[in-house]
Amino acid sequence: MEKSPNDKGDLRYIIGSEKSLRDIISERDLMPLLKMAAGAGACVVKVSDASGGIICEYGGPADKREAGMQRPLYIEGEPAGGIVLLGEEGTDSRLEKIADLLYDSITFLMDSNLKRMLTTEIHTTVLNQSYEELLETNRKLEISRKEYRELAENLERKVQERTFELKQALARLLQQEKMASIGQLAAGVAHEVNNPLGFVYSNLSTLKRYADKFIEMLEFYRSAFKRQEFTREEIRTEQRKWEALKLDYVLSDVYDLIGQSLDGAERVRRIVADLKGFSHIDDVTVTVVDINAEIDRTLKVIAHEIPDTAEIQRNYNQLPGCCCNPALLCQVFLNIILNALQARREGLKLVISTKYVNGFIEIIFADNGHGIPDTVINRIFEPFFTTKEVGSGIGMGLTVIHDIISSLKGAIDVESSPGKGATFKVLIPSGGECNE
Amino acid sequence: MIEYDEIESRMVLKLVYYGPALSGKTTNLLNLHEQLEKKGRGDLMVLDTRDDRTIFFDLLPFYIVSPGGLKIKLKVFTVPGQVKHDATRKAVLQRADGVAFIADSQVVEATNNSQSFENLESNLAIVGLDIDTITLVIQFNKRDLDNIIPGPEVERIWKPTGIPFFYASALEGWGVVETFKSLLELTYSHIDRRYGLDERYGLDMETFIRKLTNIYEPGQAG
Repeated sequence: MEKSPNDKGDLRYIIGSEKSLRDIISERDLMPLLKMAAGAGACVVKVSDASGGIICEYGGPADKREAGMQRPLYIEGEPAGGIVLLGEEGTDSRLEKIADLLYDSITFLMDSNLKRMLTTEIHTTVLNQSYEELLETNRKLEISRKEYRELAENLERKVQERTFELKQALARLLQQEKMASIGQLAAGVAHEVNNPLGFVYSNLSTLKRYADKFIEMLEFYRSAFKRQEFTREEIRTEQRKWEALKLDYVLSDVYDLIGQSLDGAERVRRIVADLKGFSHIDDVTVTVVDINAEIDRTLKVIAHEIPDTAEIQRNYNQLPGCCCNPALLCQVFLNIILNALQARREGLKLVISTKYVNGFIEIIFADNGHGIPDTVINRIFEPFFTTKEVGSGIGMGLTVIHDIISSLKGAIDVESSPGKGATFKVLIPSGGECNE
Repeated sequence: MIEYDEIESRMVLKLVYYGPALSGKTTNLLNLHEQLEKKGRGDLMVLDTRDDRTIFFDLLPFYIVSPGGLKIKLKVFTVPGQVKHDATRKAVLQRADGVAFIADSQVVEATNNSQSFENLESNLAIVGLDIDTITLVIQFNKRDLDNIIPGPEVERIWKPTGIPFFYASALEGWGVVETFKSLLELTYSHIDRRYGLDERYGLDMETFIRKLTNIYEPGQAG
């Protein structure tokens, strides 16, 4: 078998490479045949290769043997050597037969040897090739296994990254939702503040005109006072001026205007105080909270949102303090109450009850709105879940509530039957330790 | 790919009969063996088979000497057609100087033909040969059967490729020598360009083909 290096430097096996007679048939193969030929009557029997070199020879010295027979041997049609037989004179026809027999035997042996060699060659080649291919496959598998392992490791990291991003995005959305309800509140409050401010401003304009009249009248008196007397003409003028300036009316109106303005200013002051209390702008951290007061505070800031036909009933019980961030609690109450207001505009009845139960403060908001269908009740706290029309809410309101209550280690539960309203039950742990 | 020994004035050429299982590659060689004169060739060597299916290869060797003394050994191999013997096909295909693709003309064999042709293409690439440059002829065998791809269809597909194609029935013995001759012509042209067979060794194409395709006439001395 020929081996020649290929580009990759490993061995490549070539099938059916050229073979000489010596490659195919050996002295050991030939000797028994030659002995048989000698036994049959030949004196000398030789097999030589293409260049005349003896491969195998049998028999004594050839000097007195004169008769000779030759048979050429071929490999794949190509002359490859030959057989020579020498015998005693006069045995030609006998030698002829021996030569034919020997030729047939050797050719048969060559054929079967060649066949065996080719079979071995192809078999070895295929085996080697398959082995190399297996090694290569194995190498590739090893690489891909490594890649998959890396991929799996990366995947875990990627999932963590994405989860973190999602958490952040959700937190941002929750924050936005909080701002949204505050925004709604702010719009209402702006309206509330604008009303008194409007008439305070208008009163002040009127008062400025009144002041002009007072000044004019006073200057008239002052000039007369300097001369120490009024002429008859002046006395008449004073009368006309007083009437022209409508000072009787002005004097009677001025206190009303001031009183109304003070009322208006007081209303604005109260609204700001409520808002400040609701937002707990001064209590940035955890403090002891009176939950009943916080509910009142919340109701106060959204008073303008509550229609006249609505009835809010408060069934408060004496409560122990609880330690938390009051601004967060107000946000919860605000969202629940706004929800109830949205559930029914006319004839809403909202019952808010509070009581202390086994270490928890239980706050119940029961409305008589349209309720929540059974099919969705388990999902209402999920982010982005909404039954409102597209564009009117992103479905985060109750998620914000759930989020805040969880952060306070409390719980929220809802019961509802369609058409009969919804009841939200909030549990907040009482007591606890405040930082201060 | 040609094995050429300038000092020894010796050249070994390798031709491969490729194609799907049971398309008649061995039958082609058997038929050549039968039709061509013994002079100038060796015996067909059929390695062990299993259920009469080639598992290794068959080998039909030729040997000629040019007027200028160049000894040329030509070895014609078949490959096993069965898909599972791909490693053997690759081994046999190595260093081939020319390929005869024996296709089965039966309509139902169309897929097998094209799969085998694709296999030839990829195996050639694996052993460092190129389907576009290697000497290649195609034989549509089994033309004696019914339900075969019609001639116009074959021509429509293969004429534009420029690859010589032949119709044959290896069983009936026609088209086989023509295919072989065409393969020899292309092979001759290829090596003559490179080694100057005519110029240096006085071996023109006609002589080359004639020496390798002496049709055996009964009664003529063998």
